[in-house]
Amino acid sequence: MQEDLQTLVKGQVLAVKDLPTLPGVLDEVTKLVQDPDSSTEQISKAISRDQVLSAKVLKMVNSPVYGFPGRISSIQHALVLLGFNVIRGIIISTSVFDIMQAAMKGLWQHSLGCATACGIVARRAGYEEPEEFAVAGLLHDLGKVVAAVQLPEMLERISETVRTRDISFYQAEKEIMGFGHDRINSWLGRHWRLPANLREAMAWHHKPESAQNYPEITAAVHVSDFLVRAFEFGNAGDDHISYLSPKAVNTLGLRMADLERIMDELAESFLDISELTF
Amino acid sequence: MDARVSPCYFNHPQRIFLVTVDSELLRLLEQLWWPGCMEFVHFSRATDALEMLFENPPDLLLADQRLPDMTGAQLANLVKAENVYRQLPVILCLDHEDMEYPWDWNEVEVDDFLFRPFMAAEARDRINLTLLRALRALDANPLSKLPGNTSIIQRTQDLVERKEAFALGYVDLDHFKSFNDKYGFSRGDEVLMMTARLIVNTVRDVVRDKRELSFVGHVGGDDFVFIVAEKRAEEVCRRIIAAFDGIVRGFYDQADRKEGGIRSTDRKGNACYFPFMAVSIAVVLNHGGKLKHAGEAATIAAGLKKKAKENPGSSYVIDQRRA
Repeated sequence: MQEDLQTLVKGQVLAVKDLPTLPGVLDEVTKLVQDPDSSTEQISKAISRDQVLSAKVLKMVNSPVYGFPGRISSIQHALVLLGFNVIRGIIISTSVFDIMQAAMKGLWQHSLGCATACGIVARRAGYEEPEEFAVAGLLHDLGKVVAAVQLPEMLERISETVRTRDISFYQAEKEIMGFGHDRINSWLGRHWRLPANLREAMAWHHKPESAQNYPEITAAVHVSDFLVRAFEFGNAGDDHISYLSPKAVNTLGLRMADLERIMDELAESFLDISELTF
Repeated sequence: MDARVSPCYFNHPQRIFLVTVDSELLRLLEQLWWPGCMEFVHFSRATDALEMLFENPPDLLLADQRLPDMTGAQLANLVKAENVYRQLPVILCLDHEDMEYPWDWNEVEVDDFLFRPFMAAEARDRINLTLLRALRALDANPLSKLPGNTSIIQRTQDLVERKEAFALGYVDLDHFKSFNDKYGFSRGDEVLMMTARLIVNTVRDVVRDKRELSFVGHVGGDDFVFIVAEKRAEEVCRRIIAAFDGIVRGFYDQADRKEGGIRSTDRKGNACYFPFMAVSIAVVLNHGGKLKHAGEAATIAAGLKKKAKENPGSSYVIDQRRA
């Protein structure tokens, strides 16, 4: 029975045709793409603030059409390889939320916060590709967006459960669906041929110990998710602070003192990005 | 208004062999293009055309199905059976009754057909389209779909003859072979596809004005060529290098990424280390129209490339010699 439900839901989730995004970022990117003087850097910076646009760009560049599936995990690289015409096409085919639910705005802010935190954690921990870490952070809750679009009744029941029983969104997902957004992330990552490091971080950010090949990037997303929740920046669907795996902190080679410095830096960054309209 | 394409969008006059007993057809066709754009050579018999077809093939063969010595389809198959002539586009001229039963186009290797009564406008555009389609298909690199050597040489020669100043960049990859050897050719092809996209988009991004000179071709393997105005060359090189160095890491396995390259052994069993692939770019300038022919650019680039390769990472060298 449970298996059947999963197969059914998986089919429904992967059938997603279009994901809505926030009007603010889409407007900005549209303007930049139309301006002959704007640079790839400017456009990639704007796209990097939106999980849906970022996911679409990565999905496109990693599709077999281009001949290098699963290789590109940075937005800037994706833009260089896709070119302006394709970016324009992606933007035209993206719709905006008609009614912006407060919960969804909160999720966008949470995701951007997590991306920011991942970048800072990666730099502090001395990794060479902080941008890829940031992308993994940005996409870590994408499964929630896709589920909201494809399975709206489920979302309602999950939200209801979070409200009435005061449990975390993740726990509620498991009670209602039998699995969480991490599973949905894993389906999407494979279906869209995203690079292995992003896939692993998206699939295992709640269980970082299970990451096989990319434990660092997975641990970074896990720790960042915790930090963003601790700062109460944005909203991931509940008011709970997630559990922090000490092992994940170890994997990153961070000590308490490092975490404190990361939190200081994060506080400043959050001040900057909270000015963005959500 | 003149219905002819003005003046002509082919680089050089197109030779068309017309094999038909219908002399009206020749007269009809000849008035469809500007003088000097098309060159028609008329044959009444297939056998008369055959030797010339093999010896000095035209740009297009237009054959009537009804010929005194064989059918147009047979003539087409005779020519197309040989791989050296396969690319020669063939248009078959049919009568209405020929269309009663469906043709087996697997058996008859032609590229298009026209049928009686001929409409001048249709004939003109089908011939133009067939020629252009053949030009595009003929020289596209099968992997990257970028224009190949014929187009590269034609484009360069054209600029050289017009004494136009331009910069021609030869791009190739360092350590591509070791990557290919370790990961296999399909992973190697991924890198080539990525490089092709990268060069095309970088050139397009630097040269935003469509009227300005810009061209990208794929010589083959890990060799690419771009042509831009002299003033754009440096920026194109810098951007290609920056993007390539950032992107190429993602094409290595996780373990090699951490190592910073590939460890392997050579044929003698010695341990070797190959860093990440890098791009070397040699830029030849046709400053003041100093180049005499397209081949000269290739020779100069070969010399410059050695200099660019001396640098262990990605680098570019611009030809500093002045005419």
